[in-house]
Amino acid sequence: MHPDESSINILSIESSCDDTSAAVVQNGTPLSNIVFSQKIHEQYGGIVPEVASRDHLVKIVPVVEKALAEAAVDFDQLHAIAFTRGPGLLGSLIVGTSFAKGLALSLDIPLIEVNHMQAHILAHFAEKPHPEFPFLCLTVSGGHTQIVLVSDYLAFELIGQTLDDAAGEAFDKSGKILGLGYPAGPKIDKIAQKGHAVFTFPEPQIAHLDFSFSGVKTAILYFIQDQIKKDPTFIQKNLENLCASIQHIIVKILINKFRKAIQQTSVKHIAIAGGVSANSSLRAAFTDLGKEMNCTVHIPKFEYCTDNAAMIGVAGYYKYLRKQFASHNIKPLARYAL
Amino acid sequence: MLSAKTEVIYSIDSLDATAGSILNMAMDKRIWLFYGEVGAGKTTFIKSLCAHLGVLDNTQSPSFSLINQYLGSKGGESLDIYHIDLYRINHLEEALNIGIEDYLTENDYCFIEWPQIIEPILPKETFKILFEIVDHSSRKVLIL
Repeated sequence: MHPDESSINILSIESSCDDTSAAVVQNGTPLSNIVFSQKIHEQYGGIVPEVASRDHLVKIVPVVEKALAEAAVDFDQLHAIAFTRGPGLLGSLIVGTSFAKGLALSLDIPLIEVNHMQAHILAHFAEKPHPEFPFLCLTVSGGHTQIVLVSDYLAFELIGQTLDDAAGEAFDKSGKILGLGYPAGPKIDKIAQKGHAVFTFPEPQIAHLDFSFSGVKTAILYFIQDQIKKDPTFIQKNLENLCASIQHIIVKILINKFRKAIQQTSVKHIAIAGGVSANSSLRAAFTDLGKEMNCTVHIPKFEYCTDNAAMIGVAGYYKYLRKQFASHNIKPLARYAL
Repeated sequence: MLSAKTEVIYSIDSLDATAGSILNMAMDKRIWLFYGEVGAGKTTFIKSLCAHLGVLDNTQSPSFSLINQYLGSKGGESLDIYHIDLYRINHLEEALNIGIEDYLTENDYCFIEWPQIIEPILPKETFKILFEIVDHSSRKVLIL
């Protein structure tokens, strides 16, 4: 039986790191987007086989069932299965890839492989208004810091990236130095709102459009160690201003490089993706940069910024339209260039 | 020769030379454990080791991604290098769930930052090094 072609339903699976997620995307718009939570685990507690040793193996079936149920779409209404091929942890990717292959084969529908980093960018097409091509995207997360020139749904050029730590990691590790628990990023954001950026840290001089955050982390560490020698209560006394100062330098590094990228490419639309885009100071600075450079700013809903399957389904939809299907001997890739 | 408690103090200028000599000292040990606080220089040192091992890719911190895989070469043969960072892992079970045991083979290099959590499952033959901050421009590396 061939499902109706007027609305294309894609089931997507994301298992690149430690979250397991499934979504149903109809004509490029997510109908459901389930990221595994402990709650689902409890709900299925009695059914999950004890023999499953890997987290993704335990989570993938309940997550897929919930994604279909929430979208009110049945297996026989699906047109294709999209999955994250990489980059990520090989063991995790194998679970998602194998599951997608098995399902596509049993339903006799096409299989679509998706690059996780491309999907982060295509998350901007989950909701309207869509960015216009060409646009520049700043992808900032715990693991990535990239500037990408996007000239089409499936044409990406990496024009800048971090040479060491990611921006999100700079937040987390600085937070560790301050004694804030993991993940420290959201805590720094909250505490910084009560403080002022009175302490200054040097901006690294990195060539081209690349970033470095390792030196900033070390500069913060040295500064705090020196101050603690003089006053052991320095962190407690200055926590709000320290958080504001750390946030200020990280945002400044991101924004200054991104401004340079806008100047070099002359784009009129700019976008931000990844979990760190939830940072309020970065959002404000990014919006201001848009005004300053006369660009339209695109910031997606937060649930499409962190790792999620909806973005894999959106990317899968644009590949479906161009009939870019994968064969069944496809293998996941731990390293997968943008 | 590799002796217990070898220690080397290095600056950023002598980083590559130090990494090169420690790579030789480790001989055929493939599982390396990196101890030391945030900012002690673990990732920077691994970047240098990877450069010595012919890695052409950008070596980034895997604190979020947990494991980065690079392609290197030694003696004309290509080899896989796994750069692992267990900084945000809280329990041994989480490490087992991501399949950490699959990476701990004798054939590939494994550079593991924050390895404390997986100590109970590590093989006997590992190469342990501890990093300490000496001052703003130098670090001490101790071979344990």
